[in-house]
Amino acid sequence: MKEITNKIQEIATRLFNEDQVDVFLAWEQTGEEYRVKPYFARSAADVSNIVFNEYCIHNLSTSLLKFRDGSDRIGLVVKGCDSRGIVRLLEDLQIKRERLYIVGVPCTGMKDPLAAARNQSGFNNKMQTIDIARKCLDCIQPNPVIYDELIGPENPPLLQGERFAKVKEIENMSADERYQYFEDVLSTCIRCYACRQVCVACDCRTCIFDEMKPQWVGRETNVTDNMMYHIVRASHMAGRCIECGECERVCPVNIPLMLINQKLIKDVNDLFGPYEAGMQYVEGAKPALSRYDEKDPDDFL
Amino acid sequence: MKVLSKQRLETALNKLSEAAEVFVPMQKGGQSGFFSWQSFKNEQDELMLDNLNVYQSPKGVVLPQTEKMYGIKTQGVEINIDQVYEDDHPTLIFGARACDVKGILAMDEVFLTRGYEDNFYKARRSNNVIIAHACYTPGDNCFCYAMEVNPVDPAGADVIIRDSGDVYVWETQSEKGEAVTAQISDLLEDKDVKLPELGSFKIDVDYTGVAEKLKTMFDHPLWDKISEPCSNCGICTYVCPSCYCFDIQVKMWGDEGYRFRAWDSCMYEEYSREAGGGNPRGAAKERFRQRFLHKLEFFQERYGTPLCTGCGRCMVVCPNDINIVRIIDAVKEAEVND
Repeated sequence: MKEITNKIQEIATRLFNEDQVDVFLAWEQTGEEYRVKPYFARSAADVSNIVFNEYCIHNLSTSLLKFRDGSDRIGLVVKGCDSRGIVRLLEDLQIKRERLYIVGVPCTGMKDPLAAARNQSGFNNKMQTIDIARKCLDCIQPNPVIYDELIGPENPPLLQGERFAKVKEIENMSADERYQYFEDVLSTCIRCYACRQVCVACDCRTCIFDEMKPQWVGRETNVTDNMMYHIVRASHMAGRCIECGECERVCPVNIPLMLINQKLIKDVNDLFGPYEAGMQYVEGAKPALSRYDEKDPDDFL
Repeated sequence: MKVLSKQRLETALNKLSEAAEVFVPMQKGGQSGFFSWQSFKNEQDELMLDNLNVYQSPKGVVLPQTEKMYGIKTQGVEINIDQVYEDDHPTLIFGARACDVKGILAMDEVFLTRGYEDNFYKARRSNNVIIAHACYTPGDNCFCYAMEVNPVDPAGADVIIRDSGDVYVWETQSEKGEAVTAQISDLLEDKDVKLPELGSFKIDVDYTGVAEKLKTMFDHPLWDKISEPCSNCGICTYVCPSCYCFDIQVKMWGDEGYRFRAWDSCMYEEYSREAGGGNPRGAAKERFRQRFLHKLEFFQERYGTPLCTGCGRCMVVCPNDINIVRIIDAVKEAEVND
């Protein structure tokens, strides 16, 4: 990890010195090892603050949205899943490729700083294991799919066993059981919108949930409004979720959001595939559900 | 001193539940917060009284996240309020830490003083009893001592319980507390036990002078830097024991409906959007700054105490490691041009 930190610092310094970037997105450590946060270096002088350790789990591609309206040239560090986020933004025309200098780090699986903070908080009586973040156990793409420079050798995917096992479990429930399951997990939502805010695919300028005229989704925290929020958000993710798992990781009430996303990934692949979102960037390419083809299935019409 | 044996805790909670809805800290599925004792299921839920605290504070007992205010019926141009949903059913918060009680005291200031009384809040709060749980072992994120909170002697409690091994020492603090004590008096025993001593705080922070200094720092470049990692979600505001901002909205079906209020968050763009479409806090940085100025400056100015209670929750749940203690430190260290 120290070697990777050194390498990232070296690259960032070079990019600033050669005037190739205006800002460099990485991580900064602010306390204990797990106290890590996204860090925006603005000059070579800032570079020494950059770290890369096993808690650098945040998907920095989401931070690019903060720069989409400017002309800053941006360097950033991405792991496999984060790099798919960049493809998402490029396909969605949110940022231009030539503004980016992408430093890829093949990932061996990260630890979850939130789980570590929770363990240290005194609020948990059952310690969560923090050997590896839960989201990383579902990883199919640890290696960056788009980069200008790659640090270190590629790694094998961490996923063991069947990819959609949990989804299939839910599919096998009766409709009533399934409804009950989702009613139970979604009724606990406190509508903090953290899942939306950390999502790279949530790149709409005005989110439908923030609109007031008309107000598409009610602001009450009850099963009806919560379901409306989650179902609408999920359907906007169909063919677009790049499986970084940040939504589920940050949820303060532990809603299994990736289960919903994975169901959509599976369905989009079955119905419109073979398709895997954000696996490669081809200029002009579009996500599965953002183009129309006469051969598209339309039995339901 | 009066003590309640821990073996009799569930009996006591059952007894207290006869007169009020009792809220206790528990782990309920994926949630960690104060939930109604009546909803407690032995096989699924876990009582968390022995823990430092829970993720969601008890503020929802007196200010629910969503509450109906009144029903509406329209007839042509006439609008009739056909029902008022004032909720005054008795509630009891059992085992709140001093930081969380301070959060409710802060809301009392807002909803009950300075010439305006919020009827909905008042109805709930006047029928609410607080049994506070003295805190002797500060956690890694605790800094209540710096925010005018005494963890061992919680102000505003009707009863204080103190953990002493097999028993809770039971100290009645108010008239409301006396009524509660009377209710379970047959479960209390007289016994002299040793009380623990307050452990040391790991966080060293000094709030002195911060509110004053912030008055001069509205446009300070510090805000650009520290707000950068924030993703503007609302976790911190919703787990906070003292964030009380709400929005009032209407739901209508044809000519019938109701008005309700729901927690809102200064982190949301919609929160400060005006009817005409303008937004004085359109930028993420401005919303971030608002939250911390409200906590550390504005509330202090108006009510003479900070709105942060030092519970440390926001520092545990923030996806981007925003840390209010580091912000206080940064404010203290910041250079200000006069």
